[in-house]
Amino acid sequence: MSQDNFLDMCPTYKSGMDGSQIRAKVIGVGGAGISLIDGLRFDNFDAVDNLALDVDLRTLSDSLASEKVSFGRRHTRGMGTGGEFALARRAIEEEKDLLRKQLDGVDLVFLLAGLGGGTGGGVAPVVARIARESGALVFAFTPMPFSWEKSRHAQAEECLKDLRKHANAVVPLPNDSLLQMGGDDATALECFAEASRNVSRGISAICKLVFQKGMIDVDFAHLNRAFNHRAGRTLFGYGSGRGQDALREALRSLMVCPMLHLPDVSKAADTLVIFINGGPGMGMSALQTISEEIRKEFKAGEHVVFGAHIDENLGDQVEITVLGVTDLGPISSTVDVAPSSGGEILNATTPTKTSHPSRLVVGQAKKTKTKTEKTTGSQKKQTLGVSQNTFDFMEDENQRGIFDNVPDRNLYDGEDLDVPAYLRRGVKISI
Amino acid sequence: MSKIIGAVEIGTSQAKVLIGEVSETQTLSIVGMSSRANEGMRKGEILDFRNVASCVHSAIEAAEKMSGTTIDSIYLAQTGTHLQGMVLRGSANVASSDGRVTLADLQRAADEARRRQPSEGRSYVHHVRMPILLDGRPVEDPVGLIGQKVELIYWSIDGENAAIQKNLDVASSYSLDIDDLILSSVASSTIVAGQDVRRAGALVIDMGAGVTDIALYRHGNLAYTGVVSVGGDHVTGDLSMGLRVHEPYAEELKLEYGKALPDEADSGEEVWIIGNQTIGDRKVTRKAITDIIHVRIVELFEIISKELGELLDPKEMGGGVILTGGASKLPGIEVVASKVLGVPVRKGNFPVGISPEIAKPENASVLGLLHYALEDHGLPGESPKETSFLGKIGGFLGM
Repeated sequence: MSQDNFLDMCPTYKSGMDGSQIRAKVIGVGGAGISLIDGLRFDNFDAVDNLALDVDLRTLSDSLASEKVSFGRRHTRGMGTGGEFALARRAIEEEKDLLRKQLDGVDLVFLLAGLGGGTGGGVAPVVARIARESGALVFAFTPMPFSWEKSRHAQAEECLKDLRKHANAVVPLPNDSLLQMGGDDATALECFAEASRNVSRGISAICKLVFQKGMIDVDFAHLNRAFNHRAGRTLFGYGSGRGQDALREALRSLMVCPMLHLPDVSKAADTLVIFINGGPGMGMSALQTISEEIRKEFKAGEHVVFGAHIDENLGDQVEITVLGVTDLGPISSTVDVAPSSGGEILNATTPTKTSHPSRLVVGQAKKTKTKTEKTTGSQKKQTLGVSQNTFDFMEDENQRGIFDNVPDRNLYDGEDLDVPAYLRRGVKISI
Repeated sequence: MSKIIGAVEIGTSQAKVLIGEVSETQTLSIVGMSSRANEGMRKGEILDFRNVASCVHSAIEAAEKMSGTTIDSIYLAQTGTHLQGMVLRGSANVASSDGRVTLADLQRAADEARRRQPSEGRSYVHHVRMPILLDGRPVEDPVGLIGQKVELIYWSIDGENAAIQKNLDVASSYSLDIDDLILSSVASSTIVAGQDVRRAGALVIDMGAGVTDIALYRHGNLAYTGVVSVGGDHVTGDLSMGLRVHEPYAEELKLEYGKALPDEADSGEEVWIIGNQTIGDRKVTRKAITDIIHVRIVELFEIISKELGELLDPKEMGGGVILTGGASKLPGIEVVASKVLGVPVRKGNFPVGISPEIAKPENASVLGLLHYALEDHGLPGESPKETSFLGKIGGFLGM
């Protein structure tokens, strides 16, 4: 299964107008989003459409994205919004058809946008909404301003709330945490690069999961069902290991991934995607053990999507990527989220698999929570008519972080005091 | 006949109960004591009433059992950031022709001071009267003295009705009456800052798990109270995130290795996170632990400094700054505080005679409640409020 005849192996991978494959698009909105797109690096990235969307013509022309769309000409005359997200939102609402055309037939959207910016913050929620309306699954990665950029930060938080109403999962990437990303003497550039790499890893993992055939497979419909609810907090992490004990080392590395230790990161997930990528030496039983430990660690709920791939090029290396969300209940709007290509993805043209077609039975993870849930269209037990924005604090097993049960920010002079002081004040902690 | 006093503090991490017995000879002995881990509160606010209520009841029951008595009423400590303090002022010109101050003058001044109504959904919880000013000079008892203008100044605190009610409900759900609601900061102050210290001017900082209560005294009078929404739990939370470990381990590390002041030796030393060499156990440097704690502590004192503003004046604080509360146990914290506040800081001491088991910083508030209650009860058969001038005025002014 070398990369050379990859396309031969997987005719279901996007190649033409065959309606049975999954189409994915990475959309960078606004300066920060586009910058992220330009920095994305992962295998077969070219097979995924990438689109840059902005009001600022200069940013667009500098971008490396293969497709570029500008809008709001009459609002900003080709320049930026100056941080005015309401302006950007108005502009994009006028161009909804343009967006719909871009999103027509797209099943999976990766949305990259800096929510502190006018375009990023104002437009991302609209793109997410329209993408969902046209039946796509939407995962967003969103840089957030530093805590000390008080008003911008507050604005970004508002846009984040908005975006969460529409996207299936939103992974905030706080600027505060950049310092903690790189090594001790990392330059700013290195820190940004590491953050960008994390986004690449996330997108890559999901794409591989969905597009490639592997040892343990996942079909897109399954992924869709797992994420078919309003997203609360997310967790996203990456770990790698090599050598004899690569899987375990990768697990350890995952546990200390800085992305998992940020404010607003959920400590438990109702829906959890686990993707493990390893060299040919990766054993099935070790895989099962590790996946069980991951499920336990993140107190995985009902929806676990587990995929494992063998990649000869990895040698003795193993990579683990996890993405999880807490379930806030069904999405209010009735949206048809079946892949627009219709029907099941895997049709008769799949090649005979060389590895055994075992599909891990998911959803059997032991739940320690006491709530009762139906299996599909999972209805989170709404206690006492609690609004969908309040987290259920009655369950102490959830351990969603020491202050997660308090819905309001602990604001003092524009900064949230619950966010660790070392993060807000830019003190690098080396562990 | 001895008198039984109950004191309850509903802390963010622990609910604490003390039962004291005041003998005929005015000695107070602690006959019952209990604490229970509290799960239903965050940062000084009751989130899960049932949880908190059952925790408090359980603590009261245990204390009653230990003391062999039951309590019918309690002194309850109050905290929470919903509490807001402010200065209320009122003045009146001396009306009578002979220029002597009368109670009527004081009443008019009090009326003016009390004109301010708390906003919707809030009520006053505490009024502390500062010395009355007669023509600008503080006077103990101006009635009968000659002057032109009297001025009444109060440090008043109001709070959210809903939050206060929840606290009262905890008591009433156990059929307990409330003797008095006392601010945690005021309670702690009575026990760790004696009269002399308060007269010299002092700042008392009670650092709890959820919040930090502060009380500033000038010339022996309460001049400022406040609550900062940062406590020991924030230190644990920061460690959890910074070291990338689960909270229980972060808490253990804080208790075992935590300190507020960085020092050279830290970078060399490493400690195991879990300590039992299980899978997933790893080492972190003491420097990481200290750095995380240090930033948080510095910020806390910077916030306190900002809140106090001009009131934080070394010249008016001969008594210095006194730290107490569970979170004040961090080694080196007084040094860090000193540096940020610019005033000498020390850790509070308890009066002689309290058993070492009880005389711990985390009990400052609940001990202070008992102490306050004792002052309240004073001479047998009489309450100081009825006999002292303060009592007369207090009653008359409806405080």
